[in-house]
Amino acid sequence: MERSKNRKAEALKKIKKAIKQLRVIWQYSDSQPTEITLAAALVLLYPTATFLELGYSPIMQITAPLAGLYQLYCVSGNCIKCRVRASFITFTFYAIAAVMYLHYGLLFKGPSYWGWVLLTVSSFGSLKRIKKEELHKNNG
Amino acid sequence: MDNTTQIVITAITLLGSAGIWKYAEARLRVKAELKREEKSDSDTVLYRDDLKKRVEEMDLALKEAHKELLELTQKVAKLETENTFLRREIDILKSK
Repeated sequence: MERSKNRKAEALKKIKKAIKQLRVIWQYSDSQPTEITLAAALVLLYPTATFLELGYSPIMQITAPLAGLYQLYCVSGNCIKCRVRASFITFTFYAIAAVMYLHYGLLFKGPSYWGWVLLTVSSFGSLKRIKKEELHKNNG
Repeated sequence: MDNTTQIVITAITLLGSAGIWKYAEARLRVKAELKREEKSDSDTVLYRDDLKKRVEEMDLALKEAHKELLELTQKVAKLETENTFLRREIDILKSK
């Protein structure tokens, strides 16, 4: 009995440690790969998916790829202010897509549509991470 | 897709996301500021600053000492030369 309790406590401790570690990685790891992925999805996946599923929308299908390209340009330039700006724009576009899908009732049609929410959360996380990096650099 | 709906949804989402970001940004700023203050007040930082100051002072003193040492070495060399000549003169006078 005592042994199983100890094992349980140990397992709980390990899980807590893992969660804490994941939180630290999520908050402080380098976000460039995520930014590149999000930007590439904005350039390639975003216009295609929204066109096929929602129909023609110039706001989403013309401006979003431009925003993705801008994000790629900022990541390659390594300018942190530019990256914050571009990440905010990316986050806004993913949020627009999530709201559009919600408005047209597609978000509840199947779990595959939840990906837009995931991308919105991911882009927001990335945005926060870059802002933290900027503040950290400014504070020295 | 209806154009008006698109524009309205985009505008609302844009304003909403801007609001969320402003709030998150302000929170991050406050947190960073608190962290910075905490850092600048901590004993470790004060000790580090004190050490930095001491290292700078010691570096300056070392440079000065090096300069003085160089001057003294030059003087010693000069005196050694003088001494050699004087000894030679003494020897000449003694031999006379």
